[in-house]
Parts: sequence; structure tokens; C-alpha cells
Amino acid sequence: MMIKIENLHASVDGKAILKGINLTIGAGEVHAIMGPNGSGKSTLSNIIAGRDGYTVTKGSITYKGKNLLEMSPEQRSWEGIFLAFQYPVEIPGVNNTYLLKAGVNAKRKHQGLQELDAMEFLQIVREKAKLVELDQSFLSRGVNEGFSGGEKKRNEIFQMAVLEPSLALLDETDSGLDIDALRIVANGVNHLRSKERSVVMVTHYQRLLDYIQPDVVHVLMDGKILKTGGKELALELEERGYDWVRQEAAA
Amino acid sequence: MSVSLQTVRDQAWQAFEAGALPTTRDEDWKYTDLSRISALLGEQWWQAAAATEIDVAGFAIPNLDAYHMIFVNGRFDAEASDLPAAITVTSLASLIQDEPDKTVELMAYHADAPLSSSLTAANSALAADGACICIAANTRLDRPLRILHINDGGTSHLRTGIEIGEHAELEIIEHFSGKHETSGLTNSVTAIRLAAGGRCTHYRLQLEAAKQCHNGRVEIKQSRDSAYLLHAVELGGLLSRCDVISKLDEPGASCELNGLFVASNRQHIDHHTRIEHNAPHCISRENYRSVLDGRSHGVFNGKIVVGVGAVKTDSAQNNANLLLSANAEIDTKPELEIYNDDVKCAHGVTVGQLDKNQLFYLKSRGISEEEARQMLTFAFADEILAKMGSQPVRRFIERAAFAKLPLITDLEGMLV
Repeated sequence: MMIKIENLHASVDGKAILKGINLTIGAGEVHAIMGPNGSGKSTLSNIIAGRDGYTVTKGSITYKGKNLLEMSPEQRSWEGIFLAFQYPVEIPGVNNTYLLKAGVNAKRKHQGLQELDAMEFLQIVREKAKLVELDQSFLSRGVNEGFSGGEKKRNEIFQMAVLEPSLALLDETDSGLDIDALRIVANGVNHLRSKERSVVMVTHYQRLLDYIQPDVVHVLMDGKILKTGGKELALELEERGYDWVRQEAAA
Repeated sequence: MSVSLQTVRDQAWQAFEAGALPTTRDEDWKYTDLSRISALLGEQWWQAAAATEIDVAGFAIPNLDAYHMIFVNGRFDAEASDLPAAITVTSLASLIQDEPDKTVELMAYHADAPLSSSLTAANSALAADGACICIAANTRLDRPLRILHINDGGTSHLRTGIEIGEHAELEIIEHFSGKHETSGLTNSVTAIRLAAGGRCTHYRLQLEAAKQCHNGRVEIKQSRDSAYLLHAVELGGLLSRCDVISKLDEPGASCELNGLFVASNRQHIDHHTRIEHNAPHCISRENYRSVLDGRSHGVFNGKIVVGVGAVKTDSAQNNANLLLSANAEIDTKPELEIYNDDVKCAHGVTVGQLDKNQLFYLKSRGISEEEARQMLTFAFADEILAKMGSQPVRRFIERAAFAKLPLITDLEGMLV
């Protein structure tokens, strides 16, 4: 099992957002979490990645048998968690390649492996950049500096490819993408699917799921997972909206 | 009727003797206490230091292909210098000796000039040497010219005049440095005149020895369509002040002032800038940043004056400050004086710590908190240095600046 979330309650500034999430994801599985705005989707991925500002008031997250909530964000990254940001941050002056090299080598150090030298690293980076059709010139630019919306999202998937996580969280990676960019991003993700790697896609829209087929679809509403099903559930949501899920759960 | 150089000097001396040094009660000097100069150097602080010999090899900028004009304790060192063949560069001392009348205008002291003080008067009265540079119309020096001032203790008054002819170009590097352990004062005035279409890129690098006081003044007068670009870097010295006064006097002139302070321990660094938009369609850009550690104190005052006739002025000013220690301090003040309606003036100031979202982003990629802080601090300062066209100067300053911050441990890696 990759990750097990049990009865997770969390609040932001004293306001309860998550109200008892239960979610288990096995190795190699792809899960989609869908839900209307403000349902708590981004909160969940931010808590898994370790962002400040969220208070877990109840429940637990067990990742690869360890207590995830005790780890710092960088430890989580070393242990294989990756968050593709909904809004990737621009960091002018920090070189894209330097960032990734520092990240990869910190992880290798944590694993007791030797650090990669510049040449080895550059080879990996070039190969992975091709995967998301990212121009080589992006490698030497500042992190996301002056990138278009689509380029930022591609850069997230590129970073994911380089860091080779065990559990990838894609937070609304599809929003704002045109069809070409969506295809490129989805290709990148599909390429990285493996028996050892789990993926969680947080999204509003069914269209991403046309490109990346999920094993399981969850509906997150009002801080709880109200319904779980197969990929056909996404199509039903697209057609009928979300209200029927709430009514069904209340019945 | 023209006045003699001696008259100009005498008048400046009288002005100096009559007026005291500005005090912290004076608005322009509120945060910079000049009484420290006499406390460190004695009542006769203004007396010029004796000549010394020094090995200039230790003051090179690696990989910089430039002409060099070298001054040691305010005196031109012809032997160590490497000047262009065309007679465009002379030392002030020789010009005073051979053609004193030519220097009258350069040495003039105007008590009513903005940000003028009795330090300026002392400079006008006492400056014995400096650089005089004249670039003829439609020409440019084939390499940058570095003016290196090595200050080896004691006081030096330096006066530099730069004339750039119509559509002429010059890249100049004023480099102030020293390695001595005793106190001293560098009192430097640089006057730059740009004729129509002239262009000047000016690096002003203040890397004085730890106990040196530094007072600088840069005055730029710009004609039609001329362009001036300043990269001011403040790293050294105990007490450092620089006033930059840029006058956009004719339509189409533009100036860009970039500044970076990196201060630690008890360093005090103060820049007052004044950009005068005196004609229509002029453009000014100003971008100053400081990284302050220890008990250091930074001061930034950026004044922009837009005159009545200066319609279609386009001006933007930004000052961002990063405090690495709870004991570091910044006083920053943008000042806008605008006398017509048809202008675009943007300004912004930030004082703070590192951006939380950027920190989390880096950590989520496996970078430790400490390393993430290093990277963001480097990036904050380097954004200003990245504007430098000269890669050797940029590298030199990056190494000198970040060597001051113990936080930065993998500088060479970040310089990719």
C-alpha cells in the first residue's frame, strides 16, 4: 500500500475544511479526486505535501508504513512524494537545472547514494525534457520565470519526471491548458505510470481523464469523500453535476 | 569674464570653512551620522593622506579585458595604468598643471546644487587628482575603462569628469578598494555629461576596506536622446554614502539606476538618488535592493522630480530589502514630486523576509530549509546583478558579495 488516510480532519485559520477523509491508494494505482470549488481538494494535496498553514485536528496519514504528518516537506520529497502545483511559483534567479540537481542530490544523499555529477545529471535532464517537449533553453532559465501558463504546468511534469516520485499529486494540472498542452502533459504523466508509482489527480474537469485513465474516481464534497467509483463516475459527474451525489449521500 | 581655477578653489574652501558637516538634524542626512568621520580621523580629517606604494596586482577583476587607470591614495599611478592610445583620458593633476582653465567648470562648487554638502565643498577645494575623460562624437572606446581607486588609509579627495560627445559611447568601471586596517575617508565626486545620443554604462563598485568611510557623489547631465545606465554596488566600508543626481534635461533622454547593497556587521550604507525629469518624453528606471545582515543599517532615499514641462514622463522606481537578521535595519523612502498631469510614475517598496511560497516550493522539491534560504537570498540579490552586461564584473561582484554572507555555502554551484 502506498498511502492510507484515515478520518482526516483539518482546518485553516480555525475553519474546518476536511471533515473525515478516508482514502487508501495502492502502489501503481491512479486515482482522480473530483469535486466542486471549495470542497477541500487542494487542501488535501497541500496537507500531503506538507505546506504550512493547515492544522490537522484529527486522523492520520500513513505513507509507506510511516507517519507522514511528522515529516518536513523536504523529507516527504526524499521519501517520494511530489506535488505538481496548481499555481507554480516563479523564482527568478534560481536556475531550473540547479534547483533540480539540488533536489535530486539531496534525495540521493538521504538514500545513501552517491551524488550525481554535472554530466550525468545533464544527460538525465535532457532526456526528461524531451518527454514533455520542453525546449532545452528552459533548463537554464529561472524557475518558471516568464513561463506561460502551459509552460509552467509542463515544467511541473518535467520536474516530476526528473525526481521520479512514488506518489505524485497533480493539483489541477489540467486547468488553463489548451488541448495541445493537455495532450503533452498527459503523455508525460502516462509515460511515468508504473507498478511502483501511484498518481492522484485533483481536477474539476472530466476531460483530463480522457487522456489519463484513472483506476478509481472519488467525489470530494464538503470536506468528505461522498462517493467512489470507476472512471464511468467521472462521465456521470460531467453529465449530471454534483448535487445528486450530495442528495444520494444524505439519503 | 572667466574665473581662474584658484578662485574657484578658494571659494570652495571658504564655503567649506564657513559651513559645518551636515548633522542628523538635516533631513538629507537624518540617518547618516558624519560626526563619525572626525571621531575616527580627528579634527583635520580632510587633510589628504600621504602617497604610498602598493601592489596593484591584488585588485584585479578576473577576466576583465579593459583599460585601467589606477590611483593610489588619490594619486594617479601612471606606471601601473594602461590607458588607451588616443588621448581621451588624462589625469586631473596633469590637466590642472597644463590647462587649468579647462578644469574650472569641473571643479566648480555650487552650494545650492541638490544634495550638496560641505563634503562636496571640501572636494572642490582639495581634490588633487582624478580622471578626465573625453570621448569624441561618434566614437567609442574599444574596451571598458576601469578607474581603480586603492585607498590605503587616510583621506583622499577624488574628482572625475567624463564628457561623452554626440552619439559617442563609453563603458566605465569605477572601482573603490583597499586592504588596510586603519581608518580613512574616500571623498569622490564624479560628473558625467552626455551630449545628444551619447551612451554611458557606469559600474560603480564600492569595495573599500572594512574601516574606510566613503562619500560619493555622481552627477549626470543628459542631453537629447542620451542614455545612462548605472550599476551601483555597495559592499565595503564602515560608513558609506553616495548621492546620485541624474538630470534628464532634454527630450528622449533615459536613465536606469540599479543598486545593490550587501552589508554585514555594523556597516552603514546610504544612497540618496534624485532623478530630475526636466523635459518631455524622458524615461527613468530605478531598481535598488539591499541584503542586510548582522547589525548593518541601510538607507535608501529615491526622489523623482517631474517638472512642469516634462510631459509624457515615464518613470518607475522599486526598492526591495531583505533583512537576514533581527538587528539589521533599513530606512527607505520614495519621494515623488510631480508638477504636471501627463506622466506615468510607478513606485514600490518592500521590506521583508523570504517569500513563504517560494520556500515551500523549493522544499517540496527536496531542498532543505537552509539550502532553500540560501538559494532565495542569492536569487534576490542576483536579480540586480543579472542586469550587468559585463560577465566578468558580475562574477567578481557575486563572489565578493556572497562571500560576506556565511549563509551562502554553495556559491560556485549557483553561479552556473
